[in-house]
Amino acid sequence: MKRICAVFPLLASVLGAADFQIPIEKYKLNNGLRVILSRDSAAPVMACYIIYDVGARVEEKGRTGFAHLFEHMMFQGSANAPKGLHFKTVESNGGVLNGSTHPDFTDYFEILPSNKLPVALFLESDRMRSLAITKETLANQKEAVKQERRLSFDNQPYATAIVDRWPQLAYKNFQNYHSLIGSFEDLNAATVDDVARFFKTYYAPNNAVLVIVGDFEPAQAKRLIEGYFGDIPAQPQPKHPDLTEPPITEARSTVYKDPLAKVPQLLIGYPGPVRRSADYNAMVMLDAVLTGGESSRFALNLIKGKQSLLGYEANLGWPFAGPSDYKNPGLYAMGLTHNPRFTGKQVLAQAEEEFRKIIDNGIPEKELARVRNLLRASQIKGLQSTMRRATLLGQYEILDGKPEYINSEIDEFLKVTASQIQAAAKKYLDPSKRITMEIVPAPPSNKENK
Amino acid sequence: MMRSLVLLLAPAAMLVAQTIDRTKIPDTPPVPAYKLPPVHQEKLGNGMEVVMVEDRRFPLVTLRLTFRNIDPREGIAETAASLLKEGAGSRTSQQIAEELADIGGALDAAAGKDTLTVSGNVLAENTGKLLELAADYVRRATFPEEEVTLRKQNRVQELAAERAQSSTLADEKLMGLIYGGHPYGRLLPSIKEIEAIKREQLIAFRDTWLVPNNAVLVIVGALPARSQLMAMLNQRFGDWKTKPVPSVPAPAIPATQRSITLVDRPGSAQADIHAGQLAVTRQSPDFFPLMVANTVLGGGASSRMFQNIREKEGFAYDAHSEFVARRSGGFFDAVTQVRDEVVQPALKAMMAEMETLAKEPVPGAELSNIKSYLSGIFVLQIASQDGLANELNMVKTQGLPNDYLETYVTRMRSVEPDQIQAVARKYMSPERSAIVVVGDAAKVGKQLESFGKVTKTKADE
Repeated sequence: MKRICAVFPLLASVLGAADFQIPIEKYKLNNGLRVILSRDSAAPVMACYIIYDVGARVEEKGRTGFAHLFEHMMFQGSANAPKGLHFKTVESNGGVLNGSTHPDFTDYFEILPSNKLPVALFLESDRMRSLAITKETLANQKEAVKQERRLSFDNQPYATAIVDRWPQLAYKNFQNYHSLIGSFEDLNAATVDDVARFFKTYYAPNNAVLVIVGDFEPAQAKRLIEGYFGDIPAQPQPKHPDLTEPPITEARSTVYKDPLAKVPQLLIGYPGPVRRSADYNAMVMLDAVLTGGESSRFALNLIKGKQSLLGYEANLGWPFAGPSDYKNPGLYAMGLTHNPRFTGKQVLAQAEEEFRKIIDNGIPEKELARVRNLLRASQIKGLQSTMRRATLLGQYEILDGKPEYINSEIDEFLKVTASQIQAAAKKYLDPSKRITMEIVPAPPSNKENK
Repeated sequence: MMRSLVLLLAPAAMLVAQTIDRTKIPDTPPVPAYKLPPVHQEKLGNGMEVVMVEDRRFPLVTLRLTFRNIDPREGIAETAASLLKEGAGSRTSQQIAEELADIGGALDAAAGKDTLTVSGNVLAENTGKLLELAADYVRRATFPEEEVTLRKQNRVQELAAERAQSSTLADEKLMGLIYGGHPYGRLLPSIKEIEAIKREQLIAFRDTWLVPNNAVLVIVGALPARSQLMAMLNQRFGDWKTKPVPSVPAPAIPATQRSITLVDRPGSAQADIHAGQLAVTRQSPDFFPLMVANTVLGGGASSRMFQNIREKEGFAYDAHSEFVARRSGGFFDAVTQVRDEVVQPALKAMMAEMETLAKEPVPGAELSNIKSYLSGIFVLQIASQDGLANELNMVKTQGLPNDYLETYVTRMRSVEPDQIQAVARKYMSPERSAIVVVGDAAKVGKQLESFGKVTKTKADE
């Protein structure tokens, strides 16, 4: 289905910085744990968000899907909270919880009534300090993860093509092209020792950021944080993986026959800009012009106009990230579901015609003003959520070292000019660097399923 | 004076600095009660109801304009709903899209089985403009011919894409089994129905159902002053003419019979398993007990299904249950998706959990935990403008009393273990469940035979 371009980064409103500043207090414990506190006395709930500077891109050959499997293990018990207690404790205190694995980080959260901060801190510190890793829980979670793979990917149209095949086409460096959900073979091969080593290396306080957003008393919160996390020893700072990609010298394309798909989908991608560069800001705006909402170029000209597209998703980092957590090397990419009346190649030509129009003719000021407005409204709407604020604060600290971007980045986007967008389109939407995958419906084969 | 201040402050400080015991879950006060903001109701002269809630935390306004009764059959309502924004009054689809972007707003419409809702939000300073657009949608939708044609064409493709998913196939089959000939029994329209739709039918739909005496507007946020808001509403909706609304034929829904249906989806990588049956409405005295029972069984990660089928057995990633309380009759559905080899033990485990809930009272501690969880997520659900607007909309369109949200937590907390057993016997009974499995019949068919007679169907039947 058509959706508005993935979440716009949210920031201070142009109404005036004073109208909408997210308060930020940032400090560090002696063991290197970074803490960000953002008080909101109007919120009935509190978000406790913890993000570790390790993601799927760190995985070695033979261990694809490991970071995600490890994320599952984080819920399997720690020294003072045996298996099952983490879920039960959060829910019985009136909260919800989850975690997620991304290419460049892994995050965990609890959303609880404001008076439950000590509970969240107890649970997060206990597993950071003393995760319990056993053969039984590992075997159990391997099954859960394999089932998740089947549910979210193997049994769905498009998904296996996107998670397994697309990155192989887009990247040459194993760190970037391997599947982040992992193969059954690699998942089966993971050992308790692997898990223990991964935990020791990456799940250290100096490799993490703790964010609390909600109605807390700052002095008390700091005392609790020191009390629960202060004794956890730092570990040697782990290295980030080498993600260097050779430049793309010629277009790459493939056709993927999908036995579960009934409607074709075309993926298009281009190597993306450096995060937070001027080009990054321009590409966020370019994407908004092209795909943001129902007055966008794609909506008016391809869903309506040519009547070829049924729906699309597009943004920096698609499909594994949005602009807020995009990190290079990455792509500006999109998935276009289209009427089978058109071939993938025809749809590609239509999309490129839209790119060409901007490259050749730029963007009228009235249209750009409209896009800026959409962005501003999107920001305000998104910032309502306590959880969203906690997420952005944590991610901006991990990825940028600057949680303040939550308040300042909107100004960067709104300052981008039409000619800067035009220049970015010309530089990045370059056919010689283009990556495409046509997913076409195919009759099911009698192939054995994993 | 000084002394009493010190006494007040000291206990809290002492508690924190000296008594952090890292070996156990800290004691905390109970989940606090949440005070709902004041809700103000009005009614226009033509019968249109308005529900207003002030929320000045953000410069935003959120609205839901719902038509309480509609005819959902043959895909006409859903098509009409999706076309309201594609031409209204003197505005074209493009003009509407551009205007929404200009005011920092969104305004969409969708039809369910009982109601049609226009949902939107906007930067607070542009509330008047959003209301103007909403009035255009519901009073002056034009259904341009080329938009109708495009919508039908795209809907046909969308239906194909939706039916490529095993979860859709399972839901479609289950709804048919539970609701039979009632409109609830048709999850999705057929391609034939969509292709047969004519513009005249959409216009007739608009004229029949989109009338003020059938409408309730919920509006939440940084609202204009009351008198100003009422003036805006009267200006845009005041002269909208009342018109009697027909009733929709709805056959009685018989009790669910035990059945086992296998929907063959060749090439499936796993099997979707559902065990469902007819349940109750929100008005039923069984509503709160069943809501609590459902959460014990399969709501959240500390539920029995999650802990057993996933955390203990490793059969699934997802194992949960649902209780959907619809206006004419709700349903219960236990759901999981498992690898082919374990369909039999997974279904057996699912049914065993359902039976245990009927046979044995829920232990006190577990029940208390579940009630705290439900209190907590109730607050989460109404904490945002969207969430509160949805809940108020539900209260109004399901004919619930005005104090429903205020009394929700108290009523939920008063559910007793014997009531849970009673509703488990009535509505979570494997003997009266429609069991639906979607998967590769060649791989999983045999495993189902041990449960009884299996009816096999193809995905597009």
